[in-house]
Formats: sequence, C-alpha cells, structure tokens
Amino acid sequence: MTALLEVIGLSGGYEPVQIFKDVNLTVGAGECVGFFGPNGHGKTTLMKTLSGIIDPWAGRIVFEEQDLAAPGERKARRSRNLNYDILVRRRMDPKKVARAGLIHVAQGSTLFPDMTVAEILSIAPGVALAAGRKPEPDAVFSLFPRLKERLQSKSRFLSGGERQMLSMACGLLAVPKLMILDEPTLGLSPKLRQELADAVHAIRRAGTPIILIDQDIEFLRGLVDHLNVFDHGSISRRLTNAQIPDHETLMAELFGRRQG
Amino acid sequence: MELSAFIAVLTGGLVLGVLYSLMAFGLALVWTTLGIFNFAHGAFIVLGAYIAWQIGNPDAFGLGFLVSAVVTVIAMFVIGVIFQFLLVKPFERKPNIVLLTVITTLAGATVLINLINVMWGPRSKQIVLPASGDLSLGLFRITANEGLMVLIVTLTLATLGWFLLKTPLGRSMRAVAQNREAAQLMGLNVPLLYAATFGLAAALAGLAGVFIGSIRFMTPNMGDDPLQKALVVVILGGVARFTSPIYAAFLVGIIEAFSTYAVGLYWTPAVLFVLMIAVLVVKPEGLFGRRERSV
Repeated sequence: MTALLEVIGLSGGYEPVQIFKDVNLTVGAGECVGFFGPNGHGKTTLMKTLSGIIDPWAGRIVFEEQDLAAPGERKARRSRNLNYDILVRRRMDPKKVARAGLIHVAQGSTLFPDMTVAEILSIAPGVALAAGRKPEPDAVFSLFPRLKERLQSKSRFLSGGERQMLSMACGLLAVPKLMILDEPTLGLSPKLRQELADAVHAIRRAGTPIILIDQDIEFLRGLVDHLNVFDHGSISRRLTNAQIPDHETLMAELFGRRQG
Repeated sequence: MELSAFIAVLTGGLVLGVLYSLMAFGLALVWTTLGIFNFAHGAFIVLGAYIAWQIGNPDAFGLGFLVSAVVTVIAMFVIGVIFQFLLVKPFERKPNIVLLTVITTLAGATVLINLINVMWGPRSKQIVLPASGDLSLGLFRITANEGLMVLIVTLTLATLGWFLLKTPLGRSMRAVAQNREAAQLMGLNVPLLYAATFGLAAALAGLAGVFIGSIRFMTPNMGDDPLQKALVVVILGGVARFTSPIYAAFLVGIIEAFSTYAVGLYWTPAVLFVLMIAVLVVKPEGLFGRRERSV
C-alpha cells in the first residue's frame, strides 16, 4: 500500500524561531490520523507548513507521490542587508497544495467577515473544479443544514459554531483527498461540539482521510486509526487506537503525575 | 446665497464628487486588498491623461475620445501590473511592507512623472471631449461633457460593483482582501489576484486622468492635487465597504464646492484637511468605516 501523505524529516517555524523539527508522518489511503498535545507546542504551525502557508525549513512533503515542497534545505539568511525574500524563491505554493487535494480547515478561522455565506460557498469549489474534481453541494448542505438558513448572513454575524461549519463546508466543497481538521470543536458549547463531532464522524464514514487535531481524547479515540502525541515540536509517541490511554493517564505522562 | 447660486454650487460639488469617487475607488481597492498605500496613484492619473491625449487628440494620433479612453484603461492596467511586480511584490513577505512601499511607490511616482516630462514636455495640454453644449434639468445645469463624465463614471462604478459582488473573480478579490490566509487555504491564486487588483486600480486612475485632463489643463505635475483629494476621501470615508469611499467622495466634492464659494480656492484644501483631521480625532476608522479593514 502506498502512502497518501508522507512527511519526511520536516522542520520549520517562523524565522528565526524554529517551532518543530524532524517530523516524520505517514497517512495511508483511507486512514484517519489524530494529533494530541499541549497548546503552543507547534501542532497548528506544523499543519500550516503542510498546507504551504509557511515555508518548511527542511524535509519533504510527498502527497500522492508528488513532492509539494521544493527539494533541499532552506538557505540561511547570510546578510541582513539583502532582501532575502526576492533572492530565495518560496519553497511551497499553497495553491498547488489545495489543487492536489490536501485541504486544510484552519483553527477558528474568521473566514471572510464581510462576505455572505452564499458568496463564500460560491467560491469554495473553485479549486476542486480547476483540478477536475466534482464538488457535491447537496451532500454538504445535508451535513450542515443550518448553513442553508444563514445563506444571506455575512460571516461576521455567524456564531462560532456556524463559522466552524462554514469552514468545514468550504473544505468539503474543495473535494479533499486528505482533510486537515484543526481543532474543529474548539471553544464551543457541548451541544454544538456534539453536532460538529457528528459531522466529522460523517465525513470519516464517507471515506475521506482526515488528519484531526483535538484536545478531547475520547473524541479522538472514536475516530482515529493512529494517534500522534505531539509535544515540544516533535511527535513524541505514536499510538494505535487500542493503545490510546484515558485522559488522566495521558496528561500524567505528558506533564508528570500530580503530587499528593 | 440665492437659490440659483446654491443649486449651481451644489451641482458643481456633485460633479466633483463623481470624479473623486473614481479617483478614490482605486486607492481604496489597493489599500484594502494589498494593505499598502499607493503614492503613485496621482502619477497614474497623470500618465492616464497623457496616454489619452497622445491617442485621442487631433494634434497627436487623433483617434478620437472613445478609442483613447479604452486604450488608456487597458494600457494603465498593464502598467499597474508591471508597477506592482517591480515595486510592491518584492516586499510582500516583509513585516514592514507598509513603510517600504510608501518609499518605493513614491520613488516610482517620481520616475513616472519625470518620464512624462521627458516624453511630452512641461507645457500644458488639454484633452478635447466630444460633446458640446449644456444639459439642464430645472435649475441644475451642467455641460454636456460633464454629463458624459457622470454617465461613464456611474456605469464604470456600477459595473465594478457588479463585478466585485457577483462574479467569481470579483468575489475572490474580496476574499483575499478580507483574509489572505483563508484565501490561500481555499486555493485561490493570491499573487494573481494582487496583480489584478493593482492593475484595476491603475486602470481606474487612468480613466480619472482622462476626465481631469479634459476638465483642467494638464501638466506633468498635476497629479499631486488628485492624490491629496483621493487621500482625504479614503481617510474621511474609511474603507469598511467598497461603497464608503463613494459616499465620502460626494461629501468632499460638495464641501469643496461650497467652501470654494465661501472662503475661496486657496483656503479650500485647508478646510478639507482640517475636516479630515477632525474626523481622524473623533472617528479614526473613517465616517463610514468600521474598525477592521475589508472590502
């Protein structure tokens, strides 16, 4: 079986601060891979690098046997008197990544505050159509019926949950071959959390491979084939679904057991 | 102030407002989308005027007004794209892009103005408009050429509004303006949209130049005043919606007309700038603005 996504020795961050180093990751066809780890340890930065928003410093990102990042190491900034940005080409193009079918649904994205839901949904399938994939708006609306009622609202008037639904709907309209969901249930009420979790389950059942970041270990346990524990900028442990411990144990292992 | 004088001044202000909305629209478009202030906007207006003069005027190629306007708009679009590629794009990933592009666009403007001086010389010229005579509606009276300008500008802005609201490309441009990162994740071609936005702004500036070159005498240095006015309009109105500079343009046009009548031509810029400062103090995001910037 060939891997859908293969990440080899990936390092990156926001210059001059390195956020993660030497990350190796494989996502097979039809797999769902989870990420769990403390806040501020680089999960989101890693995902932004996978989708080409920020340039990787070193390493390879191979998606369906296509290299998404330019080969070789990022050159060090030698002189601060030169405009580094025009001397060195960008190593990744987010448009190319999205065209290839690696779709990133960002964490808590505000999307486009002054555009209506209908307008945003009208431009979302563009990348899929350009790449010759066929979006299915009806399936998306049946997954998020609430969006249909809010078509004429500007996205800044949406609630946090509705905005997250809109983000995921946009991601689905781009017809992902692999979907990155970055904390889809962050900061939502329990009822909405459940609604979105159901939607993620439905996407999973439809057969779309997912990279899922979340803080809810039970939610992850119900979905993922593998769980990567990510802390201090690298994957510290790889667990199969059966090996996933409960929340308390994992927390204790990550942060040390509470005394007394 | 008699009623007829009042109406005459008001009409003058409205006509100015139409012109200013065309001038400010491009500036606001670049400010909201690329997040930079284009100080070469005035130079674009001048260049547009000279290209139109060269194509259309009987003393030059003599191809008529309509052809000259169309050629100017297309040429200015191309020039705008090239300008963006050379002077804005290299600094796109710099954190201090706003300051850097103030300097580069000012430098670009200086180069353009001097090129115009070399090519066409400093002597004043004027574009000949096709219409003649007056149009009147009750007490409102404008020249036919002003009527032509109002018509063309209204059509242009209406088309542009339709383009931004209804077409996929226009919606993509607004999307990039409102959230660059989300647009990238959606797979939109951000560099292309930036170039198109800058080109569009330059084309609008060129069209404004055609009208300014016909209403006033044109010299290579005439771009400063339109740039100032466009600046006042954009700051006064804010850029919350792409219609806010249009409202502000009419406000500025009418205020300018009445202040010219009341305190004279020399004090009018002072009146406008005092007003702009007052607005900045009271409502920094502009009269029709909101705190965040977006189209």
